[in-house]
Amino acid sequence: MNAELLVLIAMMALFAIAVFIGKYPIGISLALASIAGALLSGFGVPFRHLVEGSISYLDPILIIVTAMIFMEIIKETGALGETSRLIVRYFHAYPFLFLTAITFFIMIPGMLTGLSTASVLTTGAVVAPALIAYGIPKVKTGSIIAMAALYGMIAPPINVPAMIIGGGVDMPFIGFELPLLFATVPLALFTTYFIARPHVSRGVRSEVLEKISALTQDIHRARLFLPVLVLVLLMSLSRLIPNDLTSLGLPLIFVISSLAAFRSGRDFNYWKVAQSAIKKAMPVMGILVGIGMFIQILSLSGVRGFLIVNIVQIPSYWIYVAIAVSLPLFGAISSYGASYVLGVPFLLALLGRNEIIVASAITLIASLGDMMPPTALAGIFSAQVVDEPNYFRILKVCIPYIVITAFYGVMMIIGANWFAKYLIV
Amino acid sequence: MSFLKKHLTRLLILASALSVSAFVGIDFLSMHVPDPIYPNPCQKLQLSDYFKPLAGTAGDTDVYIFEGDQAGATVLILGGTHANEPAGHIAAVSLMENIEVDAGRLIILPRANNSGFTHNDPQEGNPQRFMIKTRRGERWFRYGSRYTNSIDQWPDPDVYEHQPSGQHLSGSETRNLNRSYPGSPDGNLTEKIGYAIMQLLKQEHVDLAFDLHEASLEYPVINAVVAHQLAFDLAAEVVMTLQMEDILFNLEPSPVDFHGLSHREWGDALGIPVILMESANPLQGRYHGKVTPDIIVTGKDKYNLQAAKSGLIEVNYPADGIPLNLRVARHLSGLATTFDIWNSSHQDDQIIVKNIPSYSEMITNGLGVYLK
Repeated sequence: MNAELLVLIAMMALFAIAVFIGKYPIGISLALASIAGALLSGFGVPFRHLVEGSISYLDPILIIVTAMIFMEIIKETGALGETSRLIVRYFHAYPFLFLTAITFFIMIPGMLTGLSTASVLTTGAVVAPALIAYGIPKVKTGSIIAMAALYGMIAPPINVPAMIIGGGVDMPFIGFELPLLFATVPLALFTTYFIARPHVSRGVRSEVLEKISALTQDIHRARLFLPVLVLVLLMSLSRLIPNDLTSLGLPLIFVISSLAAFRSGRDFNYWKVAQSAIKKAMPVMGILVGIGMFIQILSLSGVRGFLIVNIVQIPSYWIYVAIAVSLPLFGAISSYGASYVLGVPFLLALLGRNEIIVASAITLIASLGDMMPPTALAGIFSAQVVDEPNYFRILKVCIPYIVITAFYGVMMIIGANWFAKYLIV
Repeated sequence: MSFLKKHLTRLLILASALSVSAFVGIDFLSMHVPDPIYPNPCQKLQLSDYFKPLAGTAGDTDVYIFEGDQAGATVLILGGTHANEPAGHIAAVSLMENIEVDAGRLIILPRANNSGFTHNDPQEGNPQRFMIKTRRGERWFRYGSRYTNSIDQWPDPDVYEHQPSGQHLSGSETRNLNRSYPGSPDGNLTEKIGYAIMQLLKQEHVDLAFDLHEASLEYPVINAVVAHQLAFDLAAEVVMTLQMEDILFNLEPSPVDFHGLSHREWGDALGIPVILMESANPLQGRYHGKVTPDIIVTGKDKYNLQAAKSGLIEVNYPADGIPLNLRVARHLSGLATTFDIWNSSHQDDQIIVKNIPSYSEMITNGLGVYLK
């Protein structure tokens, strides 16, 4: 048997044993599988490679932990509840408008940062109580948030996977706006409506308003929203006027916004809230560290080359199946990683079709990785936002929409040159 | 005692983490030791001599000036813009250790982005060093990163907005020297390096400039000469001349709307003919197999070969691989031919460089013969 295939099987087997039999956390299991892969490939225990890989996701880890602290703080001050109350109050009589507004609202942070978790942990957390109060079950609420966050991450103006792919083929991030809107907005609205539709009936609306009003009656609204305003302002400034002063970086923006929450609403203890937020984010941070090691050892051992060469050289129309399956599956490790490792070879294998449309579609499909276990960043955080202990219940609701999204992406690739006539200006 | 008992596991984990950190930290720090270069007689300056604020930073780098007895053209050669593209760096080093300039001035920066040589790209599993056999024994060189070290420039923005064009690229490209031009005196470290190189070009009145690179095998612009429109006719003649010697290069015009690159911004801002050369590095890209320092030198890899047989890569990849001496020889023959053609049309402003190892010499004798 091929040596690289053996190493891959051994790594996957050890990972499964560590998770399911050893009951180790996923991050630790990934680290153990990485060490096994390195040993089997004749590299011993390559501490340098393990540490180098583990640090790959330092920036997303900082974003996740600071965003988590921010979300916990605005939950404590009452800002989350009050936002939900306002959304319900103004839109409750118009379900179509209500769901449209909520979908775009969830997507905005992802559109600005290129991170699905930014959407889930900020606007996703804000609208969760409103959706639940509107009568949508919490599992479906989590599903709506997770899927809208994925589409937000891909929608313009910022699509980091497209930039990563562009970096691999020297294609500047220009002309992507329309293709990315086409790739995301119809799917986002379709997904929200179809998940929410059975639960949006006229009877419950006045009760909803009463129920949610009771949450936040005693709070001064202007002060309450100060941290959210600071967040929006700093995020927008870094996009509109990018320079040293305004480009603070998301972690610092979340920290400043969290500090702006001081005495803005109900009292809270910064230390305790931060501790609780870090505790919640710890498993995902551990997974990202483990994944960095895992990918490093896949590359070092030659397993990455073996996988890519065998996936990309699949003949003819099977390449579309390979794209629809391998990108989300690899995205389970990291959707950025999938774009980096597989997205570039797929784009090059499909040269002749409009590259912008193909890259947009590839990123749409790669984003589905954020719903795939074990990392499932969008799915796991959405479960936390709606207090659902079992993330797989959210995944189950999303599966039809994940399949539709992959199909939609593949159709965009097949018809790339036709779509380009209308979408590339 | 009770404290120890209660926290024993935690303390052990902490101690292990600290030990690994110290062990690995020493390994990472070792990348800051430069691989030695033994240049022929020349003047050695620093890049910060052209832009003072760069002094004492990780972006400062050695500038070597080889001056002929006769006046002539001033030519700049950049190696090591991307420290994971060793043919560019080694071509610059092998020039410095062999040449003698008779007319004009040759300015060489073997490590254009010095910071890129002090680390590796995460998730690539690349080696820190590789060895080349020379007549004196084995000589080591660093294999670095495409980017400025995050230790020297961090954090990356979510999106890199190139100035002044406003072009958007992924955030990590903010540490890519060949996306930073024309640079900025007030920008980040990479932009300052870019700015300093622009100052060098300006202050030294450079007439012709080169940037030596490598590319991954699946990248379409490979084994190529990329030329700014001011250098396009010259580059076309070079490509045709080399073709007659069976050394094949693709000729690519520098894209007008792709900003930040040397072959675009140097030419646009300073009116200098600029040529960028790309060879094929089997360790770059995504198709290669197990990572060893040998791949860099021998260029041999089974998955690259499999990818080539399936038509997935853009170059002819023989079973013997694409060795480093061949890639360096391509760069050197490209430079030597450009000088010849330049001289034929610039009788009063020539660049005459002796002892550039020829293509056939380097293929026959190997790279190590031309390194001290």
